Amino acid sequence: MLIKLQRKTLVATQIIGYSLTICVGFIIVLLITQFYFDIKPLLSQQTDVFKSKTAVITKNISVFKTINKEKIYFTEKEIHNLKEQPFTKDISKFMSANFKIKAFSNNTESVPVFYTDLFFESIPNNYIDVETDDWKWGSSLDFIPIIIPENYLNLYNFGFAESQGLPVLSKNTISQIEFFIEISGNKKLKKYKSKIVGFSNKVNSILVPEMFLLWANKEFGRVKENKTSRVLIEFINPSDKNILEYFNKNNFSINKDKLEFSKIGFFFKSALLFVFAIALVIIFLSIAFILLSLNLIIQRNKELILNLYNIGYNYNRIAKFYQVFITLVTVTSVVTSLIISNIIRNYYLREIVSFFDFNESRNYLLILSLSFILILTIIYNLIILKNIKKIVIQ
Amino acid sequence: MLITLNNIKPIYMSDDEISSSDIYLKNNVLFEKNKKYLISASSGNGKTSLLNFIYGSSTNFEGNISYNGVSQANIFDFRKSKISYVFQDFKLFPKLTVFENIQLKNSITNNKTFEEIDNLIENVNLGNKKNSLVGSLSMGQKQRVALIRSLCQPFEFLLLDEPFSHLDEKNVKIITKIIITELEKKDASLIATSLGESYLFDFNKILKL
Repeated sequence: MLIKLQRKTLVATQIIGYSLTICVGFIIVLLITQFYFDIKPLLSQQTDVFKSKTAVITKNISVFKTINKEKIYFTEKEIHNLKEQPFTKDISKFMSANFKIKAFSNNTESVPVFYTDLFFESIPNNYIDVETDDWKWGSSLDFIPIIIPENYLNLYNFGFAESQGLPVLSKNTISQIEFFIEISGNKKLKKYKSKIVGFSNKVNSILVPEMFLLWANKEFGRVKENKTSRVLIEFINPSDKNILEYFNKNNFSINKDKLEFSKIGFFFKSALLFVFAIALVIIFLSIAFILLSLNLIIQRNKELILNLYNIGYNYNRIAKFYQVFITLVTVTSVVTSLIISNIIRNYYLREIVSFFDFNESRNYLLILSLSFILILTIIYNLIILKNIKKIVIQ
Repeated sequence: MLITLNNIKPIYMSDDEISSSDIYLKNNVLFEKNKKYLISASSGNGKTSLLNFIYGSSTNFEGNISYNGVSQANIFDFRKSKISYVFQDFKLFPKLTVFENIQLKNSITNNKTFEEIDNLIENVNLGNKKNSLVGSLSMGQKQRVALIRSLCQPFEFLLLDEPFSHLDEKNVKIITKIIITELEKKDASLIATSLGESYLFDFNKILKL
């Protein structure tokens, strides 16, 4: 009887309006959040240079500099100056090997004989786009992991192997090949085992772990001081127009295409953030709308609520109907959002998988939905109880 | 249950306005078990206020009311089991039917069966209105519904605020008989207010406000 009486106090259009808006809001919020987690590996591994806001800069090489090589190195003052720029978030130097490096194979059946001079560079690990457990070095190990640019493999497979009649090699095959590295300098010589543990899309260099190069430069280096010819710069905002202006003025060279990639990544994330913010506004407005509606319903039926209290219904029991009702409506709306979000996610995952080498991320939709339901129901229940209590206990 | 009033006075009334009252500003005014009290006063003298004070629906008074000697009792719980009240403005729900209004109260304690409720409705000549919305009833019919509703709970005190103001003599007789039966069955007391008209109850005490 109480339910029948209180049901008559509700306004259907307000409830339907709330359900629809909160449903739309949650679909967007759930999808954007899940989409961000789904494409995060793609963003960090495939899309742009290093991270979304980084680029490599060098000095422009002119005829004059080919004679005086010292001019291609960055001075400490220049690096310090670069660090102080308002668009710079962080700076990392590329470290080069200061010693002779040779790579060669033993004469086995599985590996063709080769012998070549090499160079090594290193950058901080967090800027490397290859994820492998082999990327580590310790002074007790006689193994050096190497990362080469993916372009080198392409050059070999589609250029060199083609012209020399050699077999083409997959990434996996190359990663199996073990060869030797000999480093020498400072009247010392040491032999290491080595393997190519990954292929970088972003760093156009032959990379070894930074720890190794620090140690080896000390042991075998020709010069005490490490000179820097390439600098990795992380921008606060890669679309800042002062960046190119500053580099042109100082005659630094920056890979503009890569900066564009960075911009795409940045804009993509910004767009996601923008849509997310809009969805949050929708949700916030729908919550405000239903709270206002409930408050109006309670105020409009103040006499009915007071009469119920007067004939012996306590405020908990009077509030219960509105609490249960709004909880049910919210749960239904969020569960509907969850189902629709899952359907849309399955659709876009199918699309992404057809374009990229992609591992599905964890599905956060259920846990997000449950958290939203929990938070909203607690808020609604407390506010409804407070409003009804305020009316009956004056 | 024993209800004791000590130095009661509505906040909005001055001492001069209540100089000749048997209740207001008097010490140790007792309402005892199994007795019938009539509170008589002209309009505007605070009869409804007094019942509201006793029922706990208004606290706009000075002084003290105690229930079985306890002054800070949880009066709200009394509404379910110890005190029943027929309000002057009935406090019915116009969008519910006669039966639903009564059952709404009855369902709190399930004091009466559906059959008993049906009999009460029949007895007060509202059988044909059982499923009509209360909003469509006359004042007299509403008053009868409110009176029946007040009997659908356990109580030790029945408060009636000008209970027969809209009823004809025939219905007053019927209702009075029903109420007396209920009071005897429950060993309960009655506190009724009146503008001066005489009731068919055999009052133990008549108090002037």
